[in-house]
Amino acid sequence: MMYMMYFLLFGLVLGLAAVASNPSPYFAALGLVVVAGIGCGVLIWHGGSFLSLILFLIYLGGMLVVFAYSAALAAEPYPEGWGSWPVLGLMLGYLLGVVSVGMLFSSSMYDESWMVCDEFGEFYFVRGDMEGVATLYSSGGFMLAMGVWVLLVTLFVVLELTRGMSRGTLRAV
Amino acid sequence: MNPYILTILLFAMGLGTTITFASSHWLLAWMGLEINTLAILPLMCQSHHPRAVEATIKYFLTQATAAAMLLFASITNAWITGQWNLEFMSYSLPTTLVTVALALKIGLAPLHAWMPEVLQGLDLTTGLILSTWQKLAPFYLLLQINPSNTSLLLILGLASTLVGGWGGLNQNQLRKILAYSSIAHLGWMILVLQFFPSLTLLTLLMYFVMTFSLFISFKVNNSTTINSLSMSWSKAPIISSMVPFILLSLGGLPPLSGFMPKWLILQELTKQSLAPLATLAALSALLSLYFYLRISYAMTLTMSPNILLNALPWRLPSNQHTLPLAITTSLTICLLPLTPAIITLLTL
Repeated sequence: MMYMMYFLLFGLVLGLAAVASNPSPYFAALGLVVVAGIGCGVLIWHGGSFLSLILFLIYLGGMLVVFAYSAALAAEPYPEGWGSWPVLGLMLGYLLGVVSVGMLFSSSMYDESWMVCDEFGEFYFVRGDMEGVATLYSSGGFMLAMGVWVLLVTLFVVLELTRGMSRGTLRAV
Repeated sequence: MNPYILTILLFAMGLGTTITFASSHWLLAWMGLEINTLAILPLMCQSHHPRAVEATIKYFLTQATAAAMLLFASITNAWITGQWNLEFMSYSLPTTLVTVALALKIGLAPLHAWMPEVLQGLDLTTGLILSTWQKLAPFYLLLQINPSNTSLLLILGLASTLVGGWGGLNQNQLRKILAYSSIAHLGWMILVLQFFPSLTLLTLLMYFVMTFSLFISFKVNNSTTINSLSMSWSKAPIISSMVPFILLSLGGLPPLSGFMPKWLILQELTKQSLAPLATLAALSALLSLYFYLRISYAMTLTMSPNILLNALPWRLPSNQHTLPLAITTSLTICLLPLTPAIITLLTL
């Protein structure tokens, strides 16, 4: 079981290095898709299945799809990926950096390992993550209202930043 | 900008600071900081000028990084200690990370590089909001946490005073000078944070008053370079005669009120047997004093050569609201005798 976790975490680091090393938004967003998927897998192993599903739906299915459409609007005819040597070199450099920092901070490969367990202080009827979401709607109602208001302000901010064709802040598309 | 949008954005800025002030949970404090960052973005790129847009992007990136670091540190603290309270952070890693994240948020050296460029891209009013209001929430958080490492805050403070002094020396753009002056003053505030937090609050409030008067004086003159200040003696003679006092107050000279925070901080540092540090900080204030004196030299102490017509402009009645400027200028010049009362008020 720990072997599965090792695989997932290895893929996570690889995907993060891909996000950081690619200059083109297409491949970087692809790395981000991989990272988000693996992150959902890690979350499931730690017991948050509901949250993982929500993350998959909203993050990948909502935000990354919108990002893919906007990146397609700013089309790059020759995107630079891992095929070109500078990008590959940067990627290997990041991986090397992560591995060296990891070796610096860990004692050895076989002494200790992170057990996967569903951490919760006491016994509960429901799973932790679902109970948390339910609490947000019941006793955390004020925070929910605050979150709603902040999202509305975010909408106004984004609309103000992209207002008009060339009057706006961003490039006129 | 549409007045409704402006109202919502200003309200959101007030809300963000209020949420951070009212919070004892790290998530809520982070939320308040993010609301503040978000709400000021359209205000910053109001003019839609490329430099303003670039300044907005730089500001957003640095503040988002700082907020992400803050969230990381608070979640690490929650993981280790199991609680989310602001005041009870007892492990050194999260506390240090929080301090560094907040230092990036307010622009302390060596995390100050974004400040001059961001302020240069903004108009004077938005720059004023950035220099004053946006510093309130991070300072509140800095005052709440127990510092983990004594030398971290001292290094941040001393580096900021030195960088603020040396960085402003070769500038002739007023907004960059104001940015470096802000960095230097923030350095003074951080120096005394772990010994006498009320002095940090005092320095912060005094800095707000002084920099408000300076920003508004420059705005009344509608000048953003030292060169354009040189004809202000004919346009607004009273303001030209008061600005040297504001600048010398910022430099920390007695008997002006800017001397008050520096004096008390030096006294507190000496009491904590950090006399060499106090000496270094006082010497670094000399650097800042040089460029304050240069501005007052160009503005008031000399009359630059010009044709006679420019020396006699029509002095039409102005529509500018100068009451805040009058109030803050008076406070900047005359507040020193009230030092005991102010200290008592802030130490309650």
